[in-house]
Amino acid sequence: MTAAVTYAMILAGGLGSRLCLLSEKRAKPAVPFGGKYRIIDFTLSNAVNSGIFDIGILTQYRPLSLRDHIATGRPWDLDRKRGGVELLQPFQGWRENDWYRGTADAVWQNWLEVEERGAEHLLVLSGDHVYRMDYRPLVEAHLARGAEATVATFEVPREQASAFGVVRVDGAGWITGFLEKPKDPPSGKISMGVYVFHCGVLREALEKDAGRTSAHDFGKDILPALVERGRVLAYPVPGYWQDIGTLDSYYQANLDLLSPEPAFPLEDPRWPIFTPSTENPPARLGPRAQVRASIVTHGTIVNGTVERSILFPGVVVEEGAVVRDSIVMGDSWIGPRAVLDRAILDKRVHVGRGAVVGRGDVAPPNRVCPEHLSSGITIVGKHARVPEGVAIGRNARIAPDVTEEDFPGGDVPSGEALERPGGVPAHAASGA
Amino acid sequence: MVNPPILVLILAGARSDRLHALGRLRTASALPYGGKYRVIDFALSNCVHSGLYRIGVLTQYAPLSLHGHIGIGRAWDLDRRDGGVRLLPAYARQRGTNWYRGTADALVQNRNVIEDAQARHILVLSGDLVAKINFGPILDRHEQRGAALTIVTVPAPSGAGEWRRPVLSEPGGRVTAIPDRAADVGAPVSSSVFLFRARELRARLDRPDVGPDLMRDVVEPMLAEGQPVYAHPFDGYWRQIASIDAYYEASMELLAPYPALNLHDPDWLIFTPSEDRAPAIVAGDGDPAGCLMAHGCRIEGTVRRSILFPGVHVAAGAVVEDSIVMHDARVLGGARVTRAIVDKGVRIGEGASVGGGEGPPNRDYPEDLAAGLALIGKGAEVPAGGRIGANTLVDIGARESDFPARELGAGSVVRARGGRRA
Repeated sequence: MTAAVTYAMILAGGLGSRLCLLSEKRAKPAVPFGGKYRIIDFTLSNAVNSGIFDIGILTQYRPLSLRDHIATGRPWDLDRKRGGVELLQPFQGWRENDWYRGTADAVWQNWLEVEERGAEHLLVLSGDHVYRMDYRPLVEAHLARGAEATVATFEVPREQASAFGVVRVDGAGWITGFLEKPKDPPSGKISMGVYVFHCGVLREALEKDAGRTSAHDFGKDILPALVERGRVLAYPVPGYWQDIGTLDSYYQANLDLLSPEPAFPLEDPRWPIFTPSTENPPARLGPRAQVRASIVTHGTIVNGTVERSILFPGVVVEEGAVVRDSIVMGDSWIGPRAVLDRAILDKRVHVGRGAVVGRGDVAPPNRVCPEHLSSGITIVGKHARVPEGVAIGRNARIAPDVTEEDFPGGDVPSGEALERPGGVPAHAASGA
Repeated sequence: MVNPPILVLILAGARSDRLHALGRLRTASALPYGGKYRVIDFALSNCVHSGLYRIGVLTQYAPLSLHGHIGIGRAWDLDRRDGGVRLLPAYARQRGTNWYRGTADALVQNRNVIEDAQARHILVLSGDLVAKINFGPILDRHEQRGAALTIVTVPAPSGAGEWRRPVLSEPGGRVTAIPDRAADVGAPVSSSVFLFRARELRARLDRPDVGPDLMRDVVEPMLAEGQPVYAHPFDGYWRQIASIDAYYEASMELLAPYPALNLHDPDWLIFTPSEDRAPAIVAGDGDPAGCLMAHGCRIEGTVRRSILFPGVHVAAGAVVEDSIVMHDARVLGGARVTRAIVDKGVRIGEGASVGGGEGPPNRDYPEDLAAGLALIGKGAEVPAGGRIGANTLVDIGARESDFPARELGAGSVVRARGGRRA
């Protein structure tokens, strides 16, 4: 890596409420993806493949699974004497003494980390995107143009741009406007959440922002302020980039991996994606297994039918079971003759024999999270047990840890949300 | 298992002549097995599951793949401050260079390792065993009996395996004889796992006249002297990978509906260094069934009853049946692989056909390649449209120009010219 940038901070603290059940008990960057990864693996692997081996991860919401996943950073070669990876959680200090109020505040509260390193420029990344990127050319452009900040940009269809920060760029590549999640986006040129900052300039902007009433957010506050100074460069990035913002985009990004010529091949020896490997034997496909257009990981046992699906480590599909257009996370058990259709199962879900998850045609949106669960996907929370023979409709949501006794009426109709008695879904309660 | 301390010595250095192209670049202990392992993973994993963390691996023949595989032992939690795994290759000394002349000689040359360990017992086992053995109960029994040596025995293998000397014992387990003839058909045989009391083993190795062979020059003399030598029967799955047929059979046994060797047992996982590969993907019309499939595989053709190691690519229209296909081998479109062992990095050209059918044993190795298997050596390239019958051997690194004809009948051999090696 260019010596000017040796340290990166990854923003991984956010509450990913739009991922519904998947992110209720884990930070969004820790959500499992692609059969053996977690979303943050892509950013972490990009960093080490770009030669950055000194990384701080800013976490706040449910950091435990992320902490377990990263541990000492060994899979990324980040268990090092100098540098390495550090999880930066909110702490109590003599001056700052609070939860992170936003992404910018998170960096500000940890500014000492940046200062200690004496670096002139800082790379700020986000932990919830799926993409491959070499950050070195980005930094080189930033330095060559003498920018105060450089924002990696990506083109999406204009109608999708309102979910992102949209940038306006002049003929020389300088950013003239930065609109965070505009209702009527002027173009499809969006910020990827990948930034290089001149540390002196960023320090000043963060300090000023800290004392103000604001969202303390890079996209909403810091970048618009810097853009006004006129030295923020746009760095367009071609290829594949996917924000895992919603359950639908999560589902689609996973199933995109299964296309005959995937836009984002997981296997690329020149730019491997690293993750802690589980100790599992190779996948075992029984003599009557039928596996089509699917991703199958170590530790899975398939005796039934699997079509256009992704099986995480340790998943068992028993004889006569059918798994179709589904994502099944680690150690789930699909009983004999059970059917999954457009279902997302979190870890260690138990689907009793003959049960159906995802039945019916058109379906109403989910009662509890209508805006995130309306495209026909049914989602089952971690460790839930679906009783034998029960049918669950579409756009349904089964809470984590439910047991057979929590299905008093048997079948669960489309659009329904099954909770544990007394259990309130975390994001419904917070109104997100 | 800190008290009494145990030193484990794994014998992994012998050249396996009967493995031919499979064993020219590696020992049997280093053979890829079961879709992601190497054979020695069983010995190492058994040790750590049994609480034995002080291990030496004796290497000699083609040790590099083994050294690279074991490294500092991280995969087995053997990168430890106290104990851990040490690689013990034969090395040159001031007074001459000595290769290990045999199993006992290898121990003699590592006498300092044995002395430094100050172990009470020394477990000596062969690195080419496929078995899940808990050494704990064996150690307990060994101690209780006050044995100078415990030989772990297994039922005499049925089938066409190599003949092994029977270990005869009294009902109490005390070994009475290890006859050199096929006198006692059906008696148990040595599993190549020996547990010595350190004092007796050291005394034996210290003798100036000790011969090079563990069985003949250490075990038998101890028995002849009337030392307490016991047999400890082990009746679980046990295979020694000494030949191509043994390797193929032990591999295919993993594909049984309820395999005798369960790799999925969460209480006794077999550890191995994991490669950073993406999960396996079944794409297009890919149709795998009845197989073990490792990460990094891309299956666009048909696979039946086979073991696929990481990174294998089976292209559209290709068929792989009853075969073992190692790392990064490619089976191109329309090719057919039947009853074959395909080593790492092999390329099977489009429309080629490898193995299958029947025919005479191999021309050059009739003893070792007669059961109908085709063996394709590491990095070899089978030309597009080529046809290779059963019992054939394609040398390591063979190229298209090395094939004397497009069609090679059963029992043929394809040599790589110029001694090319992958």
